[in-house]
Amino acid sequence: MSDHISGPRAIADPVIDITDLYAFPCPQSPQHLVLIMNVFPYAGPSALFSDAVIYRLRVRSASIAAGGRSFAAAAEESVFDCTFSGAPQAQEGRCTLPSGEVVEFRVNEEGGGRGKGLQIFAGQRSDPFFLDGPMIERTIATKQLAFKQVGSDRLYGKNVLGIVLRIEWASLLKGGPMFAVVAETLSGGKRPVRLERVGRPEVKNVTLGAKMFDSVNRDLEIRDLYNDEDAFNLSKSYVGAYRARFNANLAFYDGLDGKVDWPLDEHGNHPLTELLLADFLVVDASQPFCERSYFEIEQAMLEGRVHASCGGRWLNEDLVDFLLTLYINAANGPPIRDGVDAPIVWSSKVFPYMAPPNRPQPPAS
Amino acid sequence: MMDERPLTDGTIALLNLGAQIEAVEAEVERGRATVETRAGLAELISLRGLIVGHIADYEKAAQIAEQLVDDAPTDARAWVARARARAGFHRFNDALDDIDVAERLALDVDTANGERAAILQALGRYDEALAVREKAAARQSSFEHLAALVGLYAECGDIEAAERLYAESLSRYRGVSPFPPALLDFQLGLMWMNEGRLQEARHSFGAAWCRLPAYAAAKGHLAEVEALLGEVDCAVARLYSLVMSSDDPDYAAQLARILGDAGDASESRHWRRLAAARYEELLARRPEAFADHAAEFWLGAGADPDKALRLARMNVAVRNTPRARGLLAQAIAATAKGVRA
Repeated sequence: MSDHISGPRAIADPVIDITDLYAFPCPQSPQHLVLIMNVFPYAGPSALFSDAVIYRLRVRSASIAAGGRSFAAAAEESVFDCTFSGAPQAQEGRCTLPSGEVVEFRVNEEGGGRGKGLQIFAGQRSDPFFLDGPMIERTIATKQLAFKQVGSDRLYGKNVLGIVLRIEWASLLKGGPMFAVVAETLSGGKRPVRLERVGRPEVKNVTLGAKMFDSVNRDLEIRDLYNDEDAFNLSKSYVGAYRARFNANLAFYDGLDGKVDWPLDEHGNHPLTELLLADFLVVDASQPFCERSYFEIEQAMLEGRVHASCGGRWLNEDLVDFLLTLYINAANGPPIRDGVDAPIVWSSKVFPYMAPPNRPQPPAS
Repeated sequence: MMDERPLTDGTIALLNLGAQIEAVEAEVERGRATVETRAGLAELISLRGLIVGHIADYEKAAQIAEQLVDDAPTDARAWVARARARAGFHRFNDALDDIDVAERLALDVDTANGERAAILQALGRYDEALAVREKAAARQSSFEHLAALVGLYAECGDIEAAERLYAESLSRYRGVSPFPPALLDFQLGLMWMNEGRLQEARHSFGAAWCRLPAYAAAKGHLAEVEALLGEVDCAVARLYSLVMSSDDPDYAAQLARILGDAGDASESRHWRRLAAARYEELLARRPEAFADHAAEFWLGAGADPDKALRLARMNVAVRNTPRARGLLAQAIAATAKGVRA
């Protein structure tokens, strides 16, 4: 599942568990960039944000590094910190902008709060992600593609707690128009400690989760180590372990169709490894909104051409089909589908974008 | 309470626990839940039962676990879930058997030993439990391993070790959930109470209760300490709220005793009758699980030493802990006194 339940710490406390990060130009006003951070997988109706957590979005100006195979993120960043009150009856939130200005809002209030150049919503919404999770697990366990023509969406009818920021990017963000975006949860207090972080979808679960192919660290639950890291500055101590896991698991996926589409280099590195290690969403705010643009900037960079879309990630994109096809045949063959092509309800192009929460489903007859 | 990083407000944490349970229950009802999800649901429901003092939650978790073993007999996670549920109802030998099965089904050795250690501790086999816990903590001094060791030292009465490790374990806690630190404070409170150090007990139970205002056992023990310190009104107020929210007869039993000691015989009789009826009901269903607390009740406010003695003997047969032996000795003394009178 995208980043749902992505490690022991997240499993122990869903209120810190980031399920997804989205970044896209506002469909109705190109001067705005939309950032969405979802937390709390399988949120029941009474779910609330923690009053002890900082829900943080970090944005840095990004460019294509010399050599054209990776991104360079600026050292300076724009941080949006959202915190919540401990009053369960009517939870209130505060978003601190990079300027230090604070925007207050009420949780679950559809119009959200407004500040200079910013609109914010926080509350329960329908989980926009969709996938046949059990068949991905079976594919890994059996080392055979296990997907059915019609799959079963593990997240069908589920809700999450969403934080939606619509930002006037030219005035609120430093640099641009291409940005690298990361979502984090941190424990509050004088010295905040990172609990989870998410950049690209399905990095920790689908890409890094399986241990069995990794001959370097076959027993290591790597995901919480990975969660601890600063996405813009990985610690030298562990980057080798992450690289080994990426190389092993990406090679596994590549081999599922019986042919090699991603030949490893002389050091055993998969061509996508370095790119994925830089685990942030890359979005070009100067490009118009596009419904299917995830990883297009990265692919253009690898192919040595200029990107043609906004990149980033829109809510309704069939991410799992895209990733399976990318990992397994590098789009050199037919699309690989998990058999789930839609969520229970599509997100809209109007703020706050994600659909209202689903009502509890009646038992299956 | 040492103060560390902030924790999620206890009321929000409990609402979120309920939110998790609701969502997973819906998944189970729709027949879409995996073994892992169903085992997780049993854990979540047990945790809620532990916090809010709902025996009905333990029953529900036990039903889920029993069904899980029927539905997935080759999955170790099902047997672990049932072992935990059985241990919760003091079926310790059955629980140990379930862990053996889980281990044969490929449960890893460290997890199996951790599960066994909790059961051995409940059985009073402290040396065996200590060997496992100390080894685990030496290998990885995480909050979880150290906190388990604190609970064990506290129960053994090794105050110095428990206090030292309490601080260390809290310093290693990285989460924001108030449940694990509150449970740890409660363990320490029990230790102080056993040692007769009431002010320290009040501090630890109070810390647990502050972190989680709905933590019934912490509130109940806080009331007990307050009563012993002569703060009867405060204790009674806490217990009145507990008898309304919990289906555990311990709080009615305590209320009956404290009100009786305070001279309110009529009100005491009311709560004694309620407690007695509820203990009888629970003993009929799960005698080994409630023998301990029921014996304590009939030894005190229940005023039936013979019944207390029968139950205390049953309790010692189930688990030969210092507390169980102490309760039996009290029951023997009470019946002897009754015969002499």
